[in-house]
Amino acid sequence: MSIVLVGVNHKTAPVEVRELLAFSEAACAEGLRSLVDGEVVREGLIVSTCNRVEVLTATTSEQIPQSHERITNFLNQSRRLPQDLFRDHSYSHIDDQAVRHIFRVASSLDSMVVGEPQVLGQVRKAYSVALEAGTAGRVLNRLIHQTFHVAKRVRSETGIAANAVSISYMAVELGKKIFGSLKGQSVLLVGAGEMAELSARHLINAGVSRVLIANRTEESSERLAKEFGGEAVSFEKLADFLPEADIVICSTGADEYVVTANMAREALNRRRNRPAFFIDISVPRNLDPAIGGLPNAFVFDIDDLESVVSSNIREREREAERAELIVNSEVMQFQQRLRVMEIGPSIGALRQKFQDIARSEMIRQRNRLGPLTPAQERAIEALLLSAVNKISHPLIDRMRRSLDSDDENIQAWRELLDLED
Amino acid sequence: MRSLLLAVLAAYVVSAIHSVLAFVNKRRVLQRVSDWAMTIGFVLHTVALAADWFIDGHYPLFSFPETLSFLAWTMVGGYALVRFRYGTYALGTFMLPEVSFLVFLALLIGSPGGAQQLGFSGTWLFPVHTTLLLFAYAAFFVVFIASGMYLVQERELKLKTFSAIFHRLPSLTTLNEIATSGAAIGLALLTIGIASGMLWSSSRYGVLWHNDPKEVFALLTWLLYLSLIVYRSTAHWRGRSAAWLGVAGFVLVLFTFVGARWMGGYHVFG
Repeated sequence: MSIVLVGVNHKTAPVEVRELLAFSEAACAEGLRSLVDGEVVREGLIVSTCNRVEVLTATTSEQIPQSHERITNFLNQSRRLPQDLFRDHSYSHIDDQAVRHIFRVASSLDSMVVGEPQVLGQVRKAYSVALEAGTAGRVLNRLIHQTFHVAKRVRSETGIAANAVSISYMAVELGKKIFGSLKGQSVLLVGAGEMAELSARHLINAGVSRVLIANRTEESSERLAKEFGGEAVSFEKLADFLPEADIVICSTGADEYVVTANMAREALNRRRNRPAFFIDISVPRNLDPAIGGLPNAFVFDIDDLESVVSSNIREREREAERAELIVNSEVMQFQQRLRVMEIGPSIGALRQKFQDIARSEMIRQRNRLGPLTPAQERAIEALLLSAVNKISHPLIDRMRRSLDSDDENIQAWRELLDLED
Repeated sequence: MRSLLLAVLAAYVVSAIHSVLAFVNKRRVLQRVSDWAMTIGFVLHTVALAADWFIDGHYPLFSFPETLSFLAWTMVGGYALVRFRYGTYALGTFMLPEVSFLVFLALLIGSPGGAQQLGFSGTWLFPVHTTLLLFAYAAFFVVFIASGMYLVQERELKLKTFSAIFHRLPSLTTLNEIATSGAAIGLALLTIGIASGMLWSSSRYGVLWHNDPKEVFALLTWLLYLSLIVYRSTAHWRGRSAAWLGVAGFVLVLFTFVGARWMGGYHVFG
C-alpha cells in the first residue's frame, strides 16, 4: 500500500486560492465519498483549515500516478478551480514524504505559528469526518493514530509550545513569572487600545479577579467595565488607584507620561513593596521608563515585548529542530508497521495454503487407509499438519525478517509462492 | 555501612544528573527518574543512618563524615518538603549535586572509628543540639538557593533579556515565599539549637559560653537571620535586598559550619 497526499498551505498558496479550495464539514464528507472509489483511491481523508487543505489517501503502489490524477481532478472539479492555478500552488507527497508531512502538520511544525495547538484538533476532526463517511480504512486508521501519537510526543518532549509568541499573551506569561498565580491579582487598564483589551482578556482568562478601567472618555470606560465585569475609575484620580493594581496596562493616545516615576514610587510605597508589573503598549510611551529603575517594579514597553516574543519564536524554532528528529524516527517506524500490515495477510495465506494441501491429500488417500478409530483419524491429521507447519515455519520466519528491507522483497515472496494479493 | 552509603551516593548522583537534564531539556520523563532515584536514595540513607545508630550504638552525628552524611540527608528532606509545599522542581537541580557531593565527601573521609568517642553522647541534650543545628543549616541552604534564583530572575526581568534557564525558574513570589519561610524555620531551629548547646555546656562544664570561633559565628548568623526576619515581617522588606541578605547569611553559615573548624576552638567536630 502507498500513501498519496495532495494539498495547499499558507506557504504555497495565497488566501485567494485557499478559500476556493476550503471544504466545509458537510462538503468534506460528500467529497470524500465521491473521491474514494475503492479501486484507485482506496481510503481518503481531508484536512481543511484556514491555512491549508490536505487530501490524504491510501492506494496501491502500482496506482500512485492514477491516484494522484484522480485527486487533482477531484479538487479541480469539486472546487471549480482553474487547473493551472491549482498546479502552481499545490504540492504532492508520496509514501514517506506524505507520512512525514501529515506528522509535521499535526505536530504544528508546518503551521504559520510553530507550536500552535489548534491544528491537532483540526486533524482529529477531519479523521472523525472520514470515519463517519466510511473512507478511513486499515491504512489511514493506523497512520492517523500514529499521527496523534507523534503530535503528543512532540508536545511533551520538546518545548515547541512552551513560551508565548504573541504580544497580548506576554502579559499573562510575564505576570505569572512575577506573581506566580494570577488568581486574585488585579489589573488596571489605562486607556483602551485593541492590544490592551486583548491582553486584559487573556489576563482574565488566567484568573485575574479585579479589573479597573481608567479612560479619558467616561463612556468607553463604562463600556469596557461592563464587558469585562470590572469597575470604571476616574482618569484624573489615576494616582489613587495605582497602588491597588498589581498589573498596569497602559495604552492611551497621550503624548506625555500618564504615569510618572513619582506616581509609581508613591504607589510602590503604598503597596508595601509588593511587586508591580507595568506594561506600556502605547507609542509615544505613556509610562516613564525611569519606573523600571524602582525596586520591585517591572516595566515592559512595546519594544521589550516584541523582542521577547521574537526570542521566544527563535526558541520555538530551536525546539522544532528537535521535533523533526522525533518525526523522522516515527516515519521510519510507520514504514515498518505498514510492511507488517501488508505481509500479515501473505503469511496467513501461505499458512492456509500449506494446510489446505495437507487436508486435501488426507481426503484423497483416506479410502486406502481402511477403517480407523476417530482417535487414529485425528492423529493422522495432526501428523500431516505438524509436518507441514514444521516445513513452512522457516519460510515464514524468513518472510518476517525480510520486512526490514524494501517492498520488492515482499513482491518477490508473493510471486515465488504464487499468492494472491 | 559503607556499601549502603555507596548505594545512597549512586542513587543521589543518578537523581542529580537527571534533575539537571530535566532542567535543561524540560522532559518530564527525566524528572520522574530523578524523583524516583531521590526517593530510593533517601530511604536507603535513612536506613543507613538508623543502622549506624542501632548497630554502632551512638547517635549518627558525631564525626565529621557522619555530620556531612547527616546534613545531606537533611537537605534531601528539606527539598522534599519544599517540593511538596510549592511544587518547584528547579530547586532540586541546584541542591541535589551538593547533596551528592556531601555524601561523596563523607565516603572519602571515611569513618574514623569509635576512638574519638569522648562520651559526648552521654546526655540527650547533645544530639538535640547537633541535630537542630544541622536542620537549621539545611533550611538556610534552601533560603540561599531560593534567594540566588530570585536574584538571577529579577535581574533578567529588569534587563528584559531572558536566558535559557529563565523559563525553568519558579516565579518571584514563590521564591520569595520559600526564602521567607525557610529563614523563619531556620531561625527557630538555630535558636533552640544554640540554647540546647548552652544548656548542655553548662551542665557539663558549668559555663554557658566558651567564646570560641564557632560560637561567635553562630551568634552572628543568628543576628543576621533575625534581622532578615524582622525586616521581612515589619517593613515588608522583600525583593533584591532581602535576597542578597539570604545569600550573605549562607556565607556566614558556611563559615560557622566549616570555617570555624580550622580556627581552633573547643567545638571539635562539624
